[in-house]
Amino acid sequence: MPYKLFDVDKEIPERERHTYVKDEHDCEIDCNKSTIPGCMTERGCALAGGRGVITGAIKDVIGLVHSPVGCQYYTTGTKRYPSQPQLPNGKIFPIDNFNLKYSFGTDLKEANVVFGGMKKLKEVVVETNKEYPFASAIYVNSTCTTGLIGDDVDAVCKEMTEKLGKDVVGFNTPGFSGVSQSKGHHITNDTVFDRLVGTKEPPKTTEYDVCLIGEYNIDGDLWVIEKYLTEMGLNILSRFSGDASHDELCWMHRSKLNLVRCQRSATYIADLIEEKYGVPYKKVDFFSTDYCSDNLRMLGRHFGLEEEAESVIEKYHGEVKEELKWYKEQLTGKKVYIFSGGPKSWHLSIPLEKELGLDVIAVASQFEHSDGYDKMKARVKKGTTILDDPNSLELEELILTNKPDLILAGIKEKYLIYKYGVPAIQIHSYENGPYIGYEGFLNLAKDVYNNINAPVWELMEFGGK
Amino acid sequence: MVRKIAIYGKGGIGKSTTTQNTAAAMAHFHDKRAMIHGCDPKADSTRMILRGKMQKTLMDTLRDEGEEACMDLDNIMSIGFGDIKCVESGGPEPGVGCAGRGVITAINMMEMLKVYEDNLDFVFYDVLGDVVCGGFAMPIRDGKAEEIYVVASGEMMALYAANNLCKGMVKYANQSGVRLGGIICNSRNVDGERELIEEFCKRIGTQMIHFVPRDNIVQKAEFNKKTVTDFDSDCNQANEYKDLADKIINNDNFVVPEPLRMDELEELVVEFGILD
Repeated sequence: MPYKLFDVDKEIPERERHTYVKDEHDCEIDCNKSTIPGCMTERGCALAGGRGVITGAIKDVIGLVHSPVGCQYYTTGTKRYPSQPQLPNGKIFPIDNFNLKYSFGTDLKEANVVFGGMKKLKEVVVETNKEYPFASAIYVNSTCTTGLIGDDVDAVCKEMTEKLGKDVVGFNTPGFSGVSQSKGHHITNDTVFDRLVGTKEPPKTTEYDVCLIGEYNIDGDLWVIEKYLTEMGLNILSRFSGDASHDELCWMHRSKLNLVRCQRSATYIADLIEEKYGVPYKKVDFFSTDYCSDNLRMLGRHFGLEEEAESVIEKYHGEVKEELKWYKEQLTGKKVYIFSGGPKSWHLSIPLEKELGLDVIAVASQFEHSDGYDKMKARVKKGTTILDDPNSLELEELILTNKPDLILAGIKEKYLIYKYGVPAIQIHSYENGPYIGYEGFLNLAKDVYNNINAPVWELMEFGGK
Repeated sequence: MVRKIAIYGKGGIGKSTTTQNTAAAMAHFHDKRAMIHGCDPKADSTRMILRGKMQKTLMDTLRDEGEEACMDLDNIMSIGFGDIKCVESGGPEPGVGCAGRGVITAINMMEMLKVYEDNLDFVFYDVLGDVVCGGFAMPIRDGKAEEIYVVASGEMMALYAANNLCKGMVKYANQSGVRLGGIICNSRNVDGERELIEEFCKRIGTQMIHFVPRDNIVQKAEFNKKTVTDFDSDCNQANEYKDLADKIINNDNFVVPEPLRMDELEELVVEFGILD
């Protein structure tokens, strides 16, 4: 049977259809559904998906969460999204890494809930704008509380846009609006498209304008890709949304080709732009030297820049080739899991095996949909365990059963994994990134090697060993 | 032991009027110590007891002066006719915020202050017409009101609302022990009203605890910002409320109702109500 029921899931047999061991018989894995009660999920909510993943990467906007203070955790510092202060109009934003350093919220209290929070929201919008008048726009996220009491965030934003003379945009992301953070991605894509795309024109356009969609600049990933593309002769007109400015989102429709990097959180907006403005898009993958080269060549062919692509590939691949070879020798045969939020489980499985010699024996995602699981299944070898919305007990059982050498996962899993004496690397926010592109993949190789070979694992006693 | 009573019923049926008149009669004729906690954002549940004084609501105090101010009973409670203690939860204007949460907050606060246990025989919760969300069910949740009286009249929509309230009550009956003490008929002078209500009560397994006839003196008293007892304690209507109060004081008929299905309810109304 390709489905697998963990011992710890005996009381919740519904989990069986969320867990699959690859063999000849393909079967559909249950996904993008409500978490099964009893399953200690690691999922986030729609606010986390919208504010935490997408708009939190934008460098020059006030991100305002309309909620009691707790939800505000997802507004700052939770993801490594560095940004540079340069704006497309040539000006310098006065605070660097504004998106990482500053967090805004309405901090609602009992009386605000009873009487409605719109008045306070207006006050806070005005106040933050007064404190940070240089912010290009204000993004307001609604949450469970304000969603339930029916605060009309859109109406407030409309009024404030007129009053302040700058975009104040409402994102209706109550946590309960979806089964996972995935719904927040979708809502945010739709809102950016409806409210912003097509409202401004870029200062200039070229025949080589691309928009990098679904690239959030985790630990500098975007800058690596940007460097390659720029050296090839392409112009990054907009980013959605790593190191992006507000204005760039407004002229995404002027791109000649959209490149979709994170295909779970951002394909929606690429589809919408294609439909309305006729801008085509391509799904791209820059993790590992192989995928990076393949995709740079594809772009070279598309824009007639084949030679330029080759020289970029030669230059940057050349820099890491030898070192990667050494790491592959050291790492061959080590067993790893990839427990990512979404698509990295399929982005990385083949590269880790082919280029680093690792043995990927389990992959998981918190919020992928069936198309993502199809890719995951296609890219792993027979016998690999695939989990949807995994829980901590399953992870423990898996660790005790097949004793992996390393787990790529998020911060929620990391310390649990440590307790079993297994090294873990944060694959959502990275350790010593960037991890994308040629030098990024080398960084990943180094982190993998250093974590597996850290002396600490021999010096301490761990549970389950 | 204080008895906590929740009064429910369709909007406009006369819940506030009945509650205030009953509480006034209890205090005046039966020497009972009573309190009314208004659970309607309109905050009009205690106006006649306070002879027209609009008291500042708990929610307004919370918003304007903060939680500390609410801890001082003088800020949130007024004493009216017959030494009846009056509190209004208050809440938002229509269309904003969460009135249900206001009810929850207000009741929690009163419990924290132990107001209900302080020298009282009866506490009345006068609740917004429809139990639209969890907040308005707060008075019948665990450890709050033990008895419910539904105010109704012989009209389809009033019975429909009463029946719906019974459905909600069944849900909470096991959990909190809340019981239906009866239906108060606040007469609209429609044909066959008494018989219809009596039959309805029989079908759902309760009693019509009192038939309050229609009398203009109620409106007259209300116009003078008084309860009937306060306005003219010798009039016939004052006597009716005295009877109702007496029946509630001595009531021992508490049930979990068995609400009717919609078709049963319609049949009943056709049978008693609209037939000439």
